[in-house]
Amino acid sequence: MARWGMAADLDRCNGCGACVVACHSENNISTVGDEQASRGRAKHWIRVERYWEGDFPDVRLKFRPVMCQQCDNAPCEPVCPTYASHHTEDGLNAQVYNRCIGTRYCANACPYNARFFDFFNPSWDKPLQLQLNPDVSLREVGVMEKCTFCVQRIRGAQLQARTEDRALRDGEIQPACVQGCAAKALVFGDLEDPESHVSRLARSPRGSKLLEDVGTQPAVTYLARATQV
Amino acid sequence: MQPTAVPSNDGSDIALLPGQVSGVFTTARPTFGAAVDDFLNRRPVYEQPLEFPHNIHVGKEIACEVCHEGVDKGPKAGIPGLRTCMICHEAIATDRPRIQQITAMRDKGLDLAWQRVYGFSNDDHVRFNHAPHIRNKVECATCHGNVGEQTIAQRNVEHTMGFCVNCHNERKASIDCLTCHF
Repeated sequence: MARWGMAADLDRCNGCGACVVACHSENNISTVGDEQASRGRAKHWIRVERYWEGDFPDVRLKFRPVMCQQCDNAPCEPVCPTYASHHTEDGLNAQVYNRCIGTRYCANACPYNARFFDFFNPSWDKPLQLQLNPDVSLREVGVMEKCTFCVQRIRGAQLQARTEDRALRDGEIQPACVQGCAAKALVFGDLEDPESHVSRLARSPRGSKLLEDVGTQPAVTYLARATQV
Repeated sequence: MQPTAVPSNDGSDIALLPGQVSGVFTTARPTFGAAVDDFLNRRPVYEQPLEFPHNIHVGKEIACEVCHEGVDKGPKAGIPGLRTCMICHEAIATDRPRIQQITAMRDKGLDLAWQRVYGFSNDDHVRFNHAPHIRNKVECATCHGNVGEQTIAQRNVEHTMGFCVNCHNERKASIDCLTCHF
């Protein structure tokens, strides 16, 4: 059984935001408009955080793409009264929309602000509804949604491998953000396989987890910036 | 069902998704009547453009996947268009009025607007894939009933979650939520 994980090389991330765009189009994430966004109702399963360091003119800008960290010890799971948020065998932190009754406890528990509540039914200005991804369901008002590590692509690749009677290859599964990253800052793969690209990056001395001390055991490793720009 | 458009608060057109009445709020079913129909298992009568005789085709031992050709390749089996019909009917049974009718339609570049009989609504959040079921030798009739005795296909097997999970349990297939719900 695989255990899915990701590594983000902050040395490579230039904050372009292609991952955010790719994620929105892959996962049918609707936008809510600027007024609602200002009330904190915007949904971005992945976001690029910006940090400025130093004083002008000696300013350094750092970027950090943040998505659901798919924690092994996820704070969002035990608080869910309906088991909508639960852990799968392959280490994914699953969100089952059918079960979700919208208590929003999980979003309160998440230290990464990675969970988003649907305050509205999804709608798209015409003709944008024609670009919706048929492999991902549309979340209606009142449910919680978050990054799934593009589980539709994971399941699709697993089915394809089983059809061809072979094992999954490393790098075969690419979530939309990984695929969209021109700088190849994001790497996705199986953490159980010690030889996979993501495992090697996760063992890197530059590696660290986000808010490691809260004990969530995230599946996403951030590789610290080594070069000074 | 084609998405229709309603004006939103700021005056722009918002595309509505199938089954959605307004762009703002719906419960799990679009209307109270739809909820009652769903609870009582009342389905709309599907008006097909042509009374397609499944029984005759199955009686001639034509396999399902000859016409529903996507079934072993991907998620959708596909509802065949006129081009598929004409592969055989260019030469077979050309004296029948219904065949002459569809030949004329094809010549005019038209196609038949078949209504989908089976399928999940968006509220079910189910992503079904035919191909792995065919690969694991699940008979078409398990989920679609005896189509060989029907003319136009009828929905006489209910695809509830219990129906799916029972079979998944029997065949030791995955019952992880994320197998189907994402």
